[in-house]
Amino acid sequence: MRFSTRIFGNRTAFLLLFIFIVGVIMSLLSPFFLNVNNLLGMTRFGTMLALVALGQTLVITGGGGGIDLSVGSIISLASVIFGLVFQAGLPVPLAAVVAIGAGALMGAFNGFNIVVMRMPPLIATLGALYAFGAIALVATGGRPISGFPEWIGFLGYGTIAGMPAQVLLIVLPAFGMLWVVLNRTVFGRNIFLVGINETAGRFAGIDVRRTRFSLYVISGVLSAIAGLVSVAWLMAARPDVGRDIELQAITVAVLGGANIFGGEGSLGGTILAVLIVTMVATGLQLANINTVWQLGTIGVILLVSVATNQLIAARSSAARS
Amino acid sequence: MKPVGTSRTLTFVPTIGRREWITIGLLVLEIAIFGIVSENFFTGQNLATIIRNSTYLAIVAIGMNIVMLMGGVDISVGPTMGIVAIIAGWMLAAGHGPWAIVPVAILVGTAVGLANGLIITVARVPDIIATLGTMNILRAAVFAMLGGRWLTGLSGQFDVLTAGNFLGLPTPVFILAAFFTFFWFLLTYTRFGRRVYAIGSDEEAASLAGINVLAVRTVAYGILGGLVGFSSLLYLGRMGSVEITVGMYLHIEAIAAVVLGGTSVKGGSGSVIGTLAGVLFMAVLRNGVVLLGIPSLWERAVIGLLILVSVGVDFIFSARQAERRRVQLAIDKGLAQ
Repeated sequence: MRFSTRIFGNRTAFLLLFIFIVGVIMSLLSPFFLNVNNLLGMTRFGTMLALVALGQTLVITGGGGGIDLSVGSIISLASVIFGLVFQAGLPVPLAAVVAIGAGALMGAFNGFNIVVMRMPPLIATLGALYAFGAIALVATGGRPISGFPEWIGFLGYGTIAGMPAQVLLIVLPAFGMLWVVLNRTVFGRNIFLVGINETAGRFAGIDVRRTRFSLYVISGVLSAIAGLVSVAWLMAARPDVGRDIELQAITVAVLGGANIFGGEGSLGGTILAVLIVTMVATGLQLANINTVWQLGTIGVILLVSVATNQLIAARSSAARS
Repeated sequence: MKPVGTSRTLTFVPTIGRREWITIGLLVLEIAIFGIVSENFFTGQNLATIIRNSTYLAIVAIGMNIVMLMGGVDISVGPTMGIVAIIAGWMLAAGHGPWAIVPVAILVGTAVGLANGLIITVARVPDIIATLGTMNILRAAVFAMLGGRWLTGLSGQFDVLTAGNFLGLPTPVFILAAFFTFFWFLLTYTRFGRRVYAIGSDEEAASLAGINVLAVRTVAYGILGGLVGFSSLLYLGRMGSVEITVGMYLHIEAIAAVVLGGTSVKGGSGSVIGTLAGVLFMAVLRNGVVLLGIPSLWERAVIGLLILVSVGVDFIFSARQAERRRVQLAIDKGLAQ
């Protein structure tokens, strides 16, 4: 009981233990799994999910029922906007800036609906999921946009010192910046406080609405960047590229330790959870087992980990009183 | 917030609220517009098609509505439908009759729903996380059961439910009427229904009033599962096949219909009448878009914007109402002094 509390009570220890177990199982399933190239290459697949899940973690931590279902549609629409602007003659860097700006605007749209119009986040972002996704399809007629210069593929396939470029240039910097913001700044502290107790936050002089609004903007920006990575990866802007990623992102964020009721969340945990999901996916692929089993496995992991968390929390609060 | 009575002396009848009327109004408007713009809209065959295509969603939406009235949500309905449809398909292929298949379908659905309910109430996993987990597990199960192939050629027994006619009207009209009347009655006039509303309005108060919140919640998920089980047969009858993507967007569509129909996501207010309006609104829209030759890609954009508009309009109204209440309260206080 004490041991289990220590392992399950400490998210990082739990996730690391999990990574170890998954690693052992996968290397038994396939002899190629522990190959260094494979291990590094694997992180590539997690890039989009990692970016979106980091945003999701922040939104959930901010509380107030915070959730962002529209991330997949923002990915799609941002990459389509990048494609259209590029086709209109803008150079790639400028087009990327426009796409990221569009992501920020889409996040701001969500934030406005939730903070000013006081819509429940689930519904506001569900509406946005429909709307943004449909605009991406309408704008392209459902066809992918291609014809990008070869060199942008570097972000999708290139390596720097053996590390995948997109991990080194995008995921790690994004993670580092967000980690500092969340753990070392006043704004970051405010996110936790607002998530734990909105009223207390307000009495402490925190602008609750502005804090939450910013989180949706950040989520929008990260989703747009994920969209750009997808363009580099596929060498095309596909209007449906982000479809279905939202549930994966929520799964990963919660597995990583975000409390769906707000106030708790760990960016490191989220990254570890992304690692677990990608390990399971690539391991099964190497072993020629269909990736649908990955979904099932993740589902079981999710339920077991949240249920144990809840039971431990209930028991320890009962013990305290 | 309306007062909620659970004792026998107090009566509480949930009435059709403002949000429902907005949706019903929008539905009428939409029908009028499509009727004027397209001459093919008001043909008997077209209207029947709309109903036939939306029956299975409507029945799932009833269950989703009950769960959402208590502030819950279920995103595992799609693969649940898949599992039941596959089992029913196997039974059909093995030559079983509807008298065996219908109860099995409802039982399997109910079992899945109850499992969700127990994970939520006993293991205390939040609704959205619990059903997210079971959704992933069930999707894997659907894949395993199908083994990478489609289940085809299954029309026959159950297309009576969706394609048939009875007394000159499409059978689904009667199915919908029966289900919606029953569940409207259940939610409005029975103890169970009042408990659902009571829990949705204030869970703690409901619990203090002696309502077994966990039991009601679990039962509600069971009912949702049973309804999904039944509507799987409608799906089977309509499609005649089961593929790996079965019910891929069922959860989103059901939630959208319930929200469009005026049920508050926070729980406590809404009705199945509104949900029916929400389902029909989406079905008519889908149909009209096709009739008018608008690229069907726009359909989802319109639904998304309407969700935002209808929730936004509600916000503006309720803010104004709260302001009026505050002023009235201040006046009352002034008079009392």
